[in-house]
Amino acid sequence: MGETIDEESGEAGPLDLTPQASRPQRPARKPLSVIVLLAAVAAVVFVLLRTLGDASLFFYEVDEAVAARADLGTERFRVVGTPQPGLVETQLDGHAAVVFTLCVADVLADVAHLGDPAELFQPGVPVVLQGSWVNGALPGLDSLLVPAGDGWYLRTDHMVVKHDNDYRGDQAELESCGANS
Amino acid sequence: MADGRTSTGSSGSRLLGVITLVGLASLLLFAFVLTEPDVRLHPTTGEKFGQFDAVRLIYLHVPMAVLTYAAFLTCAASSAFYLVRRGAWWDVTAHASAEVGTVFCGLVLVTGSIWGRPVWNTWWEWGDVRLMTTLVLFLLFTGYLALRRTAADPQRQARRAAAVALIAVLDIPLINRSVEWWENRTLHQQSTLAELKIEDLTLFTLMLGFLVFGLVFAWLMLHRFRVGWLEQAQARHDVTLAIAERQAEMETLDVGAAIGESGGEK
Repeated sequence: MGETIDEESGEAGPLDLTPQASRPQRPARKPLSVIVLLAAVAAVVFVLLRTLGDASLFFYEVDEAVAARADLGTERFRVVGTPQPGLVETQLDGHAAVVFTLCVADVLADVAHLGDPAELFQPGVPVVLQGSWVNGALPGLDSLLVPAGDGWYLRTDHMVVKHDNDYRGDQAELESCGANS
Repeated sequence: MADGRTSTGSSGSRLLGVITLVGLASLLLFAFVLTEPDVRLHPTTGEKFGQFDAVRLIYLHVPMAVLTYAAFLTCAASSAFYLVRRGAWWDVTAHASAEVGTVFCGLVLVTGSIWGRPVWNTWWEWGDVRLMTTLVLFLLFTGYLALRRTAADPQRQARRAAAVALIAVLDIPLINRSVEWWENRTLHQQSTLAELKIEDLTLFTLMLGFLVFGLVFAWLMLHRFRVGWLEQAQARHDVTLAIAERQAEMETLDVGAAIGESGGEK
């Protein structure tokens, strides 16, 4: 028969061989997988915050941007519309700029885009621009074919193209004046 | 391996592999050689415009996106069956389809980004609803795959993973409808096929893309399923072996004890 040592008295006692309920074991976790899992959760949260938390990522259509001009003030925002034929290359405050007219639902806005326009930038192909309203004279306005000419223009510095879903070659139709027309 | 197999291949899967390779070669030929680039003449300015050669990515990107949906929907359906019936077959199918789907989803993000650079003028747009919801799907299933390796108890692991899959798959309708519901928060075009704005060789090549990537999906699923099944068989075999070894140990101890006792009596 085995014996145990009593820690307090130091005397040997009988070994307790009564069956004991086994302690539930915590399942072993693999640290790398837990780190990947936590990173994935953190990334999802980051992406959601980035997507939902930034109102500037919403695109105003030209007619909405014109209607909200007073509220927008000098705030930067995004605007989507269809460039009209007649692009004018000029200089604005010492920077190269392309001046054109943007249109949605027959509402026009003049634009001065600073910097290089997108590779596929063409009249009839909708673009999303980022910038703000400016009240003043726009150089090159007289050369535009269909200017808004209301004393305001959009000064933008970021351009992305919103291409259509038409792959029928020459049968594909161009946007005449934005998504609503 | 537990049942004596040393490969996940079979005559059927090898034939499928050969057909898939021939299909891929044909798809690349049609996509990058035989179809025309997207070049149109502007009715007002007379200048050429369109997506030019970048349009060829449609034959890879769109089929991969559809197969991503198919893989994750398979994962969710198998997970639901697993939760109801508790069969290992469903769990292995869910795991395999999640893994294949995550690979496809990653490729969708990469090809979309490569396509976006020349056409949209950007590699990536933070805040674009279609892009973000697709990225979230990729991250959710990356998390799912990581989760499958965290718990030591395979039953618990499978139950948790099934629950995650059923939640993660809810992102798919959001991705699919995002271009309609949040038209002003995405650069992504609306559905071409739904509006039938594609025809002739372009349409044929896109359909060929669906078929070929469907074969790639089936081939990958077949092998990944067999790997998963063999892993489970191996695990069961290891447990059986461990029990047998322990029993043999106990028998040896009993015999030893019996010899000891009988020896002590002498």
